[in-house]
Amino acid sequence: MTALSCQALDVSIAGIRVANALDLELAPGELWGLLGPNGVGKTTLLKCLAGLTPADRGAIRIGENPLAGMTRREVAQRLGMLQQHTVYLFDSSALQIALTGRHPHLKRWDRESADDVRYAESALQAVDLDGFAERGVTSLSGGEARRLAFAALLVQDPQVLLLDEPTNHLDLRHQLQIMEIASALVADARRTALAALHDVNLAARFCSHVLMLFGDGAWQAGPCAEMLGRDALERLYGCRVEVVETAAGPRFHPVSAERPSAAWLSRKP
Amino acid sequence: MMPSARSRLLVPGLLILSFLSLLLSSAVGSVAMGFTDWIAALQQPDSALGEVVWRLRLPRAWAAWMVGGLLALSGCLMQVLLRNPLADPYILGVSGGAAFMTLLGMTVGVAAALLPVMTLAGALFSIILVFSLARGEGPWSGTRLLLTGVVTASGWAALISLILAIGPDNSLRGMLFWLLGDLSHAQPGIAPAAVLAAVFVLVTVLARSLNVLAMGETTARLLGEETDRLLWLVYLLASLLTAAAVFIAGSVGFVGLIVPHLSRMLVGSDHRVLVPAATLFGGCFLVISDTLARTLLAPRQLPVGVVTAVLGVPLFLLLLNRARLKS
Repeated sequence: MTALSCQALDVSIAGIRVANALDLELAPGELWGLLGPNGVGKTTLLKCLAGLTPADRGAIRIGENPLAGMTRREVAQRLGMLQQHTVYLFDSSALQIALTGRHPHLKRWDRESADDVRYAESALQAVDLDGFAERGVTSLSGGEARRLAFAALLVQDPQVLLLDEPTNHLDLRHQLQIMEIASALVADARRTALAALHDVNLAARFCSHVLMLFGDGAWQAGPCAEMLGRDALERLYGCRVEVVETAAGPRFHPVSAERPSAAWLSRKP
Repeated sequence: MMPSARSRLLVPGLLILSFLSLLLSSAVGSVAMGFTDWIAALQQPDSALGEVVWRLRLPRAWAAWMVGGLLALSGCLMQVLLRNPLADPYILGVSGGAAFMTLLGMTVGVAAALLPVMTLAGALFSIILVFSLARGEGPWSGTRLLLTGVVTASGWAALISLILAIGPDNSLRGMLFWLLGDLSHAQPGIAPAAVLAAVFVLVTVLARSLNVLAMGETTARLLGEETDRLLWLVYLLASLLTAAAVFIAGSVGFVGLIVPHLSRMLVGSDHRVLVPAATLFGGCFLVISDTLARTLLAPRQLPVGVVTAVLGVPLFLLLLNRARLKS
């Protein structure tokens, strides 16, 4: 059984091919990393899988259901996405924002129950935002706003979590915290997550699988152990990578960029 | 979302305040009236003073309350629709179309009874014009709607200036009053009340959807809203409210901009509390403003739009400053 899958999916944005004939099957219990250089289309792919933007071709399924035939509400009950940017324009309390995760599960006339409030409070606590419940969201720092958006996703509690650079803006402790929560959800609650990451070592540490986008629609997908190696990463990022074997598995160091930056640095003033 | 104790008290409080403001408005005016006279007048609608209270003051106060409620509610919706705290009920040109047609009517000497029809026709025409120009083929674009609306409004403003420049001198004063917003000829009527009641109920039902819509279109879609449909509905509802308000009293300024903001400062951004609070607050605010408009320089009457700005600007700046100090 798969939680999220796509067959022969062609995705592009502004004439640039993101993925050609992408076949994916994300099963419950799997945490996928989505790796690729800047501008390769990681966000575009995530948006496409969330049904926010259309694919050129191919089919996406959430569980057994074709995404194309579902209402937004049905999608939101099964799939949630942490967006890359979170901007709060109107001042609400952090608790209110966290509670919006309940929106797709509530009927038109329902109010959030006391259980919902307790659940939202525990989600805030999980991302170290306890004590922020009544705090206005426009005064949050970038990292706090990010964790709040993640807390709202926890409250939404979907089967499939799409995370667009979940560790953006976060300090070391909270980077680990977010990844540990995602990892625990996937392992214990049999959720499925696909997280766009720039830190290969976070992917190596937490992900069971990775999907790599190389540009021009080329992609590779599979278990981390098979996918993450020096050659693949050097091809992916266009820089030299050193592999360091540790007790927890291989870790990767970028050594030097081989791109035109060298030419720029040595330019004549 | 559990409403806090303050917001739970605020709505009944504003209901009581609405009632008191209507009473106050019926008690003061250019015809001096002692307390006992006023009580007697309230009890005897057929007496001379009773006529003043029941036929003149209360209908006008009720009209003011409705206009305030209509504009405040419309402002709340426009701010969410455009995700812009500067949005007000007039930003997309509804009042411009209405004003142009009304002034045109005044210039060519249309019968006074027909002027409101011209007003309504202008408002509805502008709503449909902006809707069809901004809708286009693609998905919802808030920027396209905002630009279409703002440019349309500028077009109306130019036409209005043209009429003011070439119109007959003796009608300029009436035109100016209309443009500033004036309740001296206002008739409450059943249709605007029905619009306010119907839209209010609908918006209350949609309140939680508005909460997620205020977080951005993409967030709202990810939380299960069919945003294209919802956004156009909000546009039409907000425009309809504005049209009803302009139909009664011309373009009363400022209420639709500051009342939603003041209400947000007081009760927060949960539309389940904000919508009733802002609607009631808008009603009270305009009744009090209009009472001042007809009593400050009595027997001369001021356009209520002047009073709303004179009252509203310092109140708004004060609260804004306090809110900043607090955070």
